[in-house]
Amino acid sequence: MNYPVWDVPWLGAGLVVAIIAVFHVFVSHFAIGGGAFLFAAEWWAGRLARAGHASDAARVLDFLHRYATFFLVFTTVFGAMTGVGIWFAIGLASPEGTSLLIHQFVFAWATEWVVFLLELTILYLYYYGWKHNPRRDQVFLAGAYFVVSWFSLFIINGILSFMLTPGGWTPENRDLAAGFFNPSFWPSLVLRTATMFLIGGLGGLLIAGRLGAEDPLKPRVVRFSAAFVVPAAFLVPILFGWYWSTLPESTVKMVQEGVAGLGGGRLTAITRHLVLAGAAGFAVMAGVLVAVVRPRAVTTGVALALMLVVQMGLMGAEFFREMARKPYVIYGTLYSNSLWKKDADAGPATLKTPFLERARWHPAVLPGSTEHGEWVLRLQCMSCHTRKGYRDLTSRTASWTPEFAFRWFDTMHEQGVMPPFQGSDNDRAALAATLLNLHGRALDGNDVLRAVTEKARQAAPSPATPSATPVPPPEAPR
Amino acid sequence: MATDLASIPPEADARLPPAGTRTGRAARWLLARYPVWPVVAHLADKKVPRHRHSAWYAMGGIVLFFFAVQVVTGVLLMVYYDPGQPWQSVQHIVMEVPYGSLIRSVHHWAANGMILAIFLHLFSTFFLKAYRPPREMTWVTGLALAGLGMAFGFSGYLLPWDELSFFATRVGISEVEKVPLVGGFLADLIRGGPDVTVATIGRFYPLHVVVLPLVVLGLIAAHLTFVQVQGVSEPDSFRALPPENRRYHRFFGEFLVAEVPVWLALGVLLVALAAVAPRALDPEANPAAAAPEGIKPEWYFLSQYQALKLFPGSLEVVGQAVLGLIPLAMVAVPFWDRSVPADARGRLVTRLGVAAVAGLVAMTAWGWLS
Repeated sequence: MNYPVWDVPWLGAGLVVAIIAVFHVFVSHFAIGGGAFLFAAEWWAGRLARAGHASDAARVLDFLHRYATFFLVFTTVFGAMTGVGIWFAIGLASPEGTSLLIHQFVFAWATEWVVFLLELTILYLYYYGWKHNPRRDQVFLAGAYFVVSWFSLFIINGILSFMLTPGGWTPENRDLAAGFFNPSFWPSLVLRTATMFLIGGLGGLLIAGRLGAEDPLKPRVVRFSAAFVVPAAFLVPILFGWYWSTLPESTVKMVQEGVAGLGGGRLTAITRHLVLAGAAGFAVMAGVLVAVVRPRAVTTGVALALMLVVQMGLMGAEFFREMARKPYVIYGTLYSNSLWKKDADAGPATLKTPFLERARWHPAVLPGSTEHGEWVLRLQCMSCHTRKGYRDLTSRTASWTPEFAFRWFDTMHEQGVMPPFQGSDNDRAALAATLLNLHGRALDGNDVLRAVTEKARQAAPSPATPSATPVPPPEAPR
Repeated sequence: MATDLASIPPEADARLPPAGTRTGRAARWLLARYPVWPVVAHLADKKVPRHRHSAWYAMGGIVLFFFAVQVVTGVLLMVYYDPGQPWQSVQHIVMEVPYGSLIRSVHHWAANGMILAIFLHLFSTFFLKAYRPPREMTWVTGLALAGLGMAFGFSGYLLPWDELSFFATRVGISEVEKVPLVGGFLADLIRGGPDVTVATIGRFYPLHVVVLPLVVLGLIAAHLTFVQVQGVSEPDSFRALPPENRRYHRFFGEFLVAEVPVWLALGVLLVALAAVAPRALDPEANPAAAAPEGIKPEWYFLSQYQALKLFPGSLEVVGQAVLGLIPLAMVAVPFWDRSVPADARGRLVTRLGVAAVAGLVAMTAWGWLS
């Protein structure tokens, strides 16, 4: 534990990252798909002009200028804000993981930032050269923007997919190529490419919604935009099948079978998010087909509704991708609470040593005290949980007893959903006391240890602390 | 060869797709057997005025959408729900039935969405003054549907039989009990005895899944028929325009089509809420236990709940009388404010409406925070 923990009440650090990232994914995919849309619409206007339909070409360019204005402002302002926001947030939420990504992919990040600068430069040249540049140059700039922005996706995709499927990369070999071109790299890249076309087309619908219902250009623009959305929406589920085939076995099992909950049932958050992504895909397809059939009915509200659908679908997909790594932040390498798997694999010699001796960022505490438990809680639990709020600990521990709490930390790890508990029995008891105190009790670690010892003495002739899987007390599902 | 088939009216023949096409043949086949052309023509000509408040016309459709979601998810939940073992069966739904937690959470969020949409529909209708003659009965049936929507919420809330639902229902019925003269009788009737027990579920369940749906479906049919017959109301500002400046959407083909993506977005929003914030099932209700701290009714009853606190002790009867007068006053509005365009009385009603909305929001927020 080399870093302090960012304790965000109610939301939790992970959800702060997610809120920013989910919006950023929408903006960044639009920033690429919109580039393809600009290029295609430039080509369309050029074809109309060459065919002698100068007034139609001028109207398409007028539409395109509105699109480009919205595109430039939306993607640069919100893209930059959320992009910086993600860096800020992940650095605080998961410093160890961020450090690993920076050190492992230095060259990729450097390339990404150069590409990003180039992308912005071309976009400004395109937009501010609108009145001065020959159309041929504008077509070239739009095409160049699309290619360069797609290359930024290529790079980021390598790093994001690495986090879930590092492939042949290990902390020891640090094989950049194996990590970057990991098993889910290509399916993820193609899946994201289809998604960005879909969002680029929705941007066209948004601008088309501003055209009057009687405007003869409106149906043509709606159908032109739909040509981006409909094929992509058909392709996404197929491409997801390919992506699915590259996921770790544990992820597939988690989706298909759920995760055993305290009451013996299944907690299916990851499945719910996958259903959300699927429902959004179906809804956007249905909505755009309605728009194709009745293009004059497309309004700003209709386009915004469809964009909202895609935003929620992306939320489902991104939550799915994040949960698919559970309990890791880098699959098979680094747990979500910054514990390295190699340290965990070293066994009791590492895991059972007093936890706060290995953690740097905490004040001196009295062993077994409530402060002791509080710091174990912060350093081991708060990267994913909140006391009360998102993934709250209060409801999850409502019916816990001291003995149950003492043993349950190991069971959760054995079920594959939590990192292993780090620390001695004193750490364990102190954390159990802190969790029980969320319900108005006033225990410390010593109280918990006494209760565990007493229970063990009553249960068996041997007073040793049992290590078998405990039977959970009845608890309400959630 | 003589037949009893009806002849196709000439104007229908002119407006229908050509007889040689498949849809044209199908339409004429149907019209020859069901001569309802006047109804079809009326609906085809239905228009929705286009003005800056037009979006509010979509609220009725949104309420209907949420109601449809409630029906579908409610039927799915009924497959596994057992009123004899309410908490255990809901636990089974949430923990073991595939997608049970998702369906239950969508049902929960759609219930809240429906009641919110009912409020928005009601107040937008009020402020656009769409209740004025000849639409009094549309308004009255709408008010009845709003009340029944809240009854749906109240009766469904108890069904999981968990701690929260039990105590919130007990608090709610205790307010009924305080009504002079008939309160005790009514409360016993609702509860099926002197306290909320599983016997209460025996009453709430058929009410929730049979009685209320039947009554609501009948009232929806009446409400929609009134709207179709009388057309969509036009606000005063729109009526003041010269006829050549008034623009309309066709209801079928334009307005309704534009609503479809909104319904799709709301459907996905329900799934998103169910994914991020699934409805929890608290521990099983224990009638002998003390009520947990902070038990409150659902948000749509909070304003009344909070308002009654302003009338402590023996004054509570006065509070109940005041709250009871509000729905009566709302029913009376279209019979009192009749003038088109709005006169001084109409403007007074609007101001009272603004005050009522402010009071509702303030009381709800106060109840939430207190």
